[in-house]
Amino acid sequence: MSYAPSGGAATARQTRFPAWAFYGVLFGILGALSILAWGPIGVSGTYPRFIGEILELVAPSYAGSNEYLQKVGHLFAKGETFVVIGLLVGGFLGARLNREKAPACEMIHPSEKTPARRYRDAFIGGFLIVFGARIAGGCTSGHIISGITQLSVSGFIFAAGVFATGIFTAKTLKGRHQATRA
Amino acid sequence: MTPIYATLVGIAMGFFIQRVRASSPGMIVRNLRLENLSVIKFMALTMAVGMILVYTLSLFVPSLLHWDIKPTYVLGVLLGGLVFGVGFGVGGYCPGTSVVGMGEGRKDAMVAILGGIVGAFVFTVVYSVLIAPLVKVMDFGKITLADVTHQSPFVVALIVGALFLVVIKLLPTEVQKAQ
Repeated sequence: MSYAPSGGAATARQTRFPAWAFYGVLFGILGALSILAWGPIGVSGTYPRFIGEILELVAPSYAGSNEYLQKVGHLFAKGETFVVIGLLVGGFLGARLNREKAPACEMIHPSEKTPARRYRDAFIGGFLIVFGARIAGGCTSGHIISGITQLSVSGFIFAAGVFATGIFTAKTLKGRHQATRA
Repeated sequence: MTPIYATLVGIAMGFFIQRVRASSPGMIVRNLRLENLSVIKFMALTMAVGMILVYTLSLFVPSLLHWDIKPTYVLGVLLGGLVFGVGFGVGGYCPGTSVVGMGEGRKDAMVAILGGIVGAFVFTVVYSVLIAPLVKVMDFGKITLADVTHQSPFVVALIVGALFLVVIKLLPTEVQKAQ
């Protein structure tokens, strides 16, 4: 059986129709169904709503007066929160049903020589994606996938910004290492 | 019904993301280095199929669609995208794929989520002072490409969707190194 470079199990069907194409079509249909059912898919707003619920418990007067928490609303009042719960289950099922075992800690840059360095990058990356997404009002799901699907101008602008620094950062983190080794 | 629909959509979405390996930060970084374009092509195909479908539906059942167009406050959207891109390149996760990765048992995904929770906390605290003034700059409101070009949304969706499909077809999935 030949190797499918786009990843996933190299079944006969997917070697003719690669995984990215097969699931890309399905995801497009899913996005349209979601807009029919209740609204476009989004994820990143769930993070501040989660913070809101915690602050509600530990510092209720602050939570009640914070402008942003009032703006994003309550965690379980939003469909998005359930999408996020679904993502957790979907990831588990995708790996389990195909008998795949994801690495606990995947090194992605040449500079990540120890798990500690990898965790540091994951933490910094996680901080910046959510902080950036909240400035813009959406992330890869809300702004890029759902935004561009609806032809929203904001989605195109956000995507341009993401890929400009994303490509630059990923290439720099690889190139710098090669330069020091040479 | 929304919680049930949303949970089912999330499960399917998480499954798709896992199957195309978009929850692998290594795969994301290979896409950002432009060495492998499978995830970028996956996203572009999703949007092409989605836009043609929803704007076709809008011709027949416009009242059934729950649109949610995000406002185009140019400076904030662009700045947010630039900050997001740095984080995407450094960590290899986005807010959704880290949750999928956690479902797969990736510990670095859990660390990325923790970073995201701290990021959301800091954002919540500084919002009134730093962010609220920013999102008022160059705010064009909820505009689409159809509004900007004064064309029929359906026609714009067909053109942009077709353009995406052509680019997807032309781009290689595995990029050959020049040297």
